[in-house]
Amino acid sequence: MAAGEDCGDGHQARQYVFLLPGKHGRRVEAGVGVVHRARAQGTALSGGERAEQPEGPRLWQPGAPPSDYLKDASKKMESGLMFVKLVNPCSGEGAIYLFDMCLQQLFEIKVFKEKHHSWFINQSVQSEGHLHFATPMDPLFLVLHYLTKADKEGKFQPLDQVVVDDLFPNCILLLKLPDLEKLLRHVTEEKEIDSKKYYKYSKEKTLKWLEKKVNQTMAALKINKINVGARVQSAAFCSADQVSSDEEEDYIRYAHGLISDYIPKELSDDLSKHLKLPEPPASLPKPPSKKIKLSDEPVEAKEDYTKFNTKDLKTEKKNSKMTAAQKALAKVDKSGMKSIDSFFGAKSKKKI
Amino acid sequence: MDLSELERDNTGRCRLSSPVPAVCHKEPCVLGVDEAGRGPVLGPMVYAICYCPLSRLAKLKALKVADSKTLSESERERLFAKMKEDRDFVGWALDVLSPNLISTSMLGRVKYNLNSLSHDTAAGLVQYALDQGVKVTQVFVDTVGMPEKYQERLQQHFPGIEVTVKAKADALYPVVSAASICAKVARDQAVKNWQFVETLQDLDADYGSGYPNDPKTKAWLKKHVDPVFGFPQFVRFSWRTAQSILEKEAEGVTWEDSSTEDQEVPKRITSYFCPEGPRPRLPHRYFQERGLESATTL
Amino acid sequence: MDSGDEEASEKYRIHLRPATLRDAVPATLHLLPCEVLADRPAPVGRFFTPAIRQRPGALEVSFRGRILRGEEVVVPPSLAGYVMVMDEKAEVLAGLGKKQESRGSEKGDGEEEPQPLERDFDRFIRATASFARFHLWGLETVPGPDAKVRGALTWPSLAAAIHTQVPED
Repeated sequence: MAAGEDCGDGHQARQYVFLLPGKHGRRVEAGVGVVHRARAQGTALSGGERAEQPEGPRLWQPGAPPSDYLKDASKKMESGLMFVKLVNPCSGEGAIYLFDMCLQQLFEIKVFKEKHHSWFINQSVQSEGHLHFATPMDPLFLVLHYLTKADKEGKFQPLDQVVVDDLFPNCILLLKLPDLEKLLRHVTEEKEIDSKKYYKYSKEKTLKWLEKKVNQTMAALKINKINVGARVQSAAFCSADQVSSDEEEDYIRYAHGLISDYIPKELSDDLSKHLKLPEPPASLPKPPSKKIKLSDEPVEAKEDYTKFNTKDLKTEKKNSKMTAAQKALAKVDKSGMKSIDSFFGAKSKKKI
Repeated sequence: MDLSELERDNTGRCRLSSPVPAVCHKEPCVLGVDEAGRGPVLGPMVYAICYCPLSRLAKLKALKVADSKTLSESERERLFAKMKEDRDFVGWALDVLSPNLISTSMLGRVKYNLNSLSHDTAAGLVQYALDQGVKVTQVFVDTVGMPEKYQERLQQHFPGIEVTVKAKADALYPVVSAASICAKVARDQAVKNWQFVETLQDLDADYGSGYPNDPKTKAWLKKHVDPVFGFPQFVRFSWRTAQSILEKEAEGVTWEDSSTEDQEVPKRITSYFCPEGPRPRLPHRYFQERGLESATTL
Repeated sequence: MDSGDEEASEKYRIHLRPATLRDAVPATLHLLPCEVLADRPAPVGRFFTPAIRQRPGALEVSFRGRILRGEEVVVPPSLAGYVMVMDEKAEVLAGLGKKQESRGSEKGDGEEEPQPLERDFDRFIRATASFARFHLWGLETVPGPDAKVRGALTWPSLAAAIHTQVPED
């Protein structure tokens, strides 16, 4: 350690490792590009090919009208892409988002963090082995956060009065996204007075919209062979034809859980009812014990651990005792939770 | 001694051997085991076996082989050359354990200490001689530390052979002396011609004896420490001398098996278990299982 | 945003200099199974790269006397990897003059731009390198298909499904 501090020049600025939507995405311009539209035309973006290209107007491509390009460039060249802090609609806390004002696309930033990782990047070391992902995000989730808040006033309002945030003033950038008005139909009632639009949050419409989100997420879970069951499985042993009708509910619940990461808690609960999901087993005060793995009883695959996560299972030692609530639950037969019941039942038998 | 195979890749272990003399297939043989370079913080450890028919033991004795430590480098070279001349009845084999192999074994998740590594290597060489058809009837082994357990283990391993493990066997039994000469010659040569895996800037060839208490060796270690990588693979990272220089001179490194008790339970989770308090909404299990979370700072 | 002025981080914008994305040259990246508690230059090319060995079924190298086994991870083709660094405040100030020039030229074109996207207190980030693959190392064992980071790499395709616009009724 000491050596590092001794030589002042030994240290360097923090390096961020990012994965951005790549050039394939840009070509389609389906809102996944991250670069200036004028420049994206006909030019691949990977470093090597373009490294020799000089800066400035010489980048103009013969296909694009020069006047448009210059106008575009002077305005947007330095400000097309920006990271800002906005509200996380799930937690209500701040989170980083990326705006592409040229492609008019919002991106969410997720970070891969695992303990005990570092990067070697060329001839340097970066202590935290984080990997940042920028993925296109539906801005409606963010606007929805403000709409539900504004709904308490129960009236139609212009959007620029709804999307207001003292803590995260950059939220006004959302209003610059061009398709937003069209999207708002999914979640609001709308009135137009003197060619100005006024919106009011509609829970019914929102739930229908969210149901569609759940459905398309479910489809993707199946295509991507995401293990939605309770059993911790090795990716190497995940077979394609495991999907049975029995597991359909696992998929709905899992997709609901994912969508819930983008909406407030109340809306998540409403969506759960709307989807007719059985009471989630997360109402248990405490997650099950890790010791189940050592049990003689076979662990069934149908258990739902949606709200039990791997961290819980790892940090379990403290919670091996059954609470009164768990014991009570063990006696109640809830449909869709049978294996959970038997699982606690088996444990309590051993205890008694 | 031809160590070119070692020089091609010195990151693991390397076995070298003489051809088996024909007579050793037919006549009962005595086999000695010894090692060189156990203590140094630098370079490989070499295990060697040397064997000859019981009937020719007097001839081996006549070479005046002795404990390699009592011989000068040139005397060892000379004796090794003589053994080569007697290749019609003297055979040998060695196992060169690279410093990298020693470091990674001793520092592994499952610690493989130097004694076990040594014992297994010695047994491996005896087995190698047997596999090559050497008719081994007696084995003499030099040992540091407690010979009884070691002898018991080897005897169990080779029930048909009479095993003698003794401290200072290299001075007592000519085959062990011969083995010690083979080992020492190989170790010296390997160190002298060490092919550094790393591209080192102004490499200092004078690292002294390689023993931790040699000031030259210590100075060399301090000169060649890198704040991130520590030492070149030539150094045994598992030696205390190396470790304590790293602690002072290099950046800290933590591994998932670095033992720190309080690494286990992050605070956020503890609060999650508290049923009374407000429960924060944890990210969906999809994200938790993949180590993903929303970025909150850049 | 780790610079200590936490409060301001809610307000400022970090502009990614677009030209740097195009100019980023490929870099070599290794994701290690340990944390080196430093951000600093390191002679990777002299110590680490030449020590990598191709063994059956895995790459092998050692670091600080421990064995690492690894494999190459190819970034999904729909993604592009970049290494980015935040500009120092001094660099931002240097770029400020240029920015104001370009803003000045805007005034004439008659379009209303009440609030510029860039403000004086904003910060800047730039890409310093690109990558399409990296080496993933495990402590003694190959990370393999169950490595968390492999799972993380599936996120963009699922994110696309979650965030794509829903079909109209």
